[in-house]
Amino acid sequence: MEYAVQVENLVKRYGSFNAVDDISFDVQQGEIFGILGPNGAGKTTTLEITEGLLKPTGGSVTVLGMDLARNAKQVKSRIGVQLQSAAYFDYLSLREILGLLGTFYPRATPAKDLLQQVDLVDQAGMRLRQLSGGQKQRFTVAASLVNQPDLVILDEPTTGLDPQARRSLWSLIRQIHEQNITIVLTTHYMEEAQTLCQRLAIMDQGRLVAVDTPANLVGRLDVGYNVKVVLSRPLSAEQAAAFNGKVKLAEAHSESLNGTTYLFRLENTSTMLAGVLEQLEQTGSALEHLDITPVTLEDVFLTLTGNELREEH
Amino acid sequence: MIALFWANLKMMVRNRQATFWALFFPLIFVVVFGLFDFDGLGSSRVAIVAEADSPVVSQVIGGLAAIHALDVREEVGPAFPLNVANGRLQVEQGDLDYLLVLPPDPGPSDGEQSTRTPATLVYASGDRGRNQLVIGAVRDILAQAGSGAPAGSSAMDSQASPGTGDGLLHSEAVEVSQVSYFDQVLMGLVAMGIMTNAIISISVRISNYRNLSILKRLLVTPLPIWKYFVGEVGAHLMVALVQAAIIMSVGVLVFGAKIHGNLAWILVIVVLGSLVFLNIGFIVSGWTNNPAAASGMGNAIALPMMFFAGTFFPTAALPWVLPYVAEALPLTPMLVALRDVANAGEPLWNTWPQLAILGGWVLATGAVATKVFRFN
Repeated sequence: MEYAVQVENLVKRYGSFNAVDDISFDVQQGEIFGILGPNGAGKTTTLEITEGLLKPTGGSVTVLGMDLARNAKQVKSRIGVQLQSAAYFDYLSLREILGLLGTFYPRATPAKDLLQQVDLVDQAGMRLRQLSGGQKQRFTVAASLVNQPDLVILDEPTTGLDPQARRSLWSLIRQIHEQNITIVLTTHYMEEAQTLCQRLAIMDQGRLVAVDTPANLVGRLDVGYNVKVVLSRPLSAEQAAAFNGKVKLAEAHSESLNGTTYLFRLENTSTMLAGVLEQLEQTGSALEHLDITPVTLEDVFLTLTGNELREEH
Repeated sequence: MIALFWANLKMMVRNRQATFWALFFPLIFVVVFGLFDFDGLGSSRVAIVAEADSPVVSQVIGGLAAIHALDVREEVGPAFPLNVANGRLQVEQGDLDYLLVLPPDPGPSDGEQSTRTPATLVYASGDRGRNQLVIGAVRDILAQAGSGAPAGSSAMDSQASPGTGDGLLHSEAVEVSQVSYFDQVLMGLVAMGIMTNAIISISVRISNYRNLSILKRLLVTPLPIWKYFVGEVGAHLMVALVQAAIIMSVGVLVFGAKIHGNLAWILVIVVLGSLVFLNIGFIVSGWTNNPAAASGMGNAIALPMMFFAGTFFPTAALPWVLPYVAEALPLTPMLVALRDVANAGEPLWNTWPQLAILGGWVLATGAVATKVFRFN
């Protein structure tokens, strides 16, 4: 079995609204696969279909070699799921919740081992509401591992966490990955997708925009780096327009950000930057600040969808 | 499934506030009703039965009717043997307190007292103080009626000459299980507590679980979801049984209520009734979007039902078509069955019409619950 998940021509329609609009992708065994997109892109809908929670309007999903439509129960016993913002029973301790969940599966890891893995042994007797946000997320990841799954599906595992808790969760996800468990996760954090995921699907408005490794996605753009300059006075419209003719600027061209701050996206060639700087000097406006950064997924996303990727609603 | 049952039970016990109030609510009523002495109010019911009218009969009726604390009914006529049998039955069933049977021929009014056939007073054992007063008064009136002295003015205070009527009255106590108003209300409170707790607890819990995506989380496991519902219902039935036991214990031990029926049968009715109200709880959770709304709708269903089904007052006292409405409520057959078994001491199978209606309610509400239940 080569693929952990195969999605073919998947469609989910609510009335006339296409939540998922004819998407196809494969997740390979043993990889960390990310689905990146803004809120409402169809990420969660895609996951919930894969988990057997929602029935697709069209298309098919194969999980761990089993057709989901026919083998939902077998699929469910071999996947681990962390739902977006799912809570667990109040009035049960962490240990009891994991123990109870374990009884639902043919095989189960003891609660103690799971809590050890997510570093919550000391909190075993506590209730979920007594935990911090990061601890809660680690617990829900532990809950997704209770049945020793071959595939773990995490829906926005780090949303709402502070940077430190986020990093701790990343290392937990990598640990799980080292146990040869395939991981599919959704995120709207670029940094997370870039550092954590081996391959990425970018979704926007129910459609699949691209599927590739983060490096390949970035390499697809004919852009090597971003150049941000702050000038002593604004460029005239004429001067700004002149850059379009002379310098090959990517997609967004030069755009005024803050009066005297300009952003250029440049091809990765040795002469490109020199040309821009020379031209700026000729405008008679002094260069007050220069910032050169490599192109990131954010730029890829902007290029592919034309939309800003916002972190919150 | 067993694990789910225990987990649910554990959660309900740990949710101390909800459990406490679920128990406390009906207990408040137990205390309130236990403190009132309803049976001390009102008058004692007396039936005077005679075959034919005579001066003595008239004098006795007149004499007893003049006593304020007695509610006198007279049945004089050829249906005498039937009236005696009916009256006796009514005393046995607690519908009548005293039956005075006057002999067909009270004898010559001016003759020796000993030649007269004695009258018979059949009375329900139980209230000894009241019985002594009434027996004394009847004896006195009989003596006066026989002696030609003016009757009617004597009333109960004429016991100054207690010996005079000795040969004229034969008194006969009937052992009846006294069913007080409080005994009946106690069963109403058992049913009420179970109904409100079942409807509100289930609807609020399910609504809460749905909002927190806990139901969704269960759906992504291979657990057949019916097992979850069985665990949930099983835990609630357990709580209902404990609740019924506590309410009955407080009623009996603290306020001296009497339960005449078989406890096991009472619990069977409790379980059957609980199933109906748990189903209604599931329906409420399907019709509402959040726990607060579920609680509101649950109360809106439970509270009117509590009054209309006759928890505190007989449904016959309701005006217009409301007695028929009361008959159509699921709490009514549960109350009737509980009272028949617990108060009247009838065996469970005598309540089969009520049990059949409850069974129908279980199926009907179950069907609706399955239809309106939502996981999201």
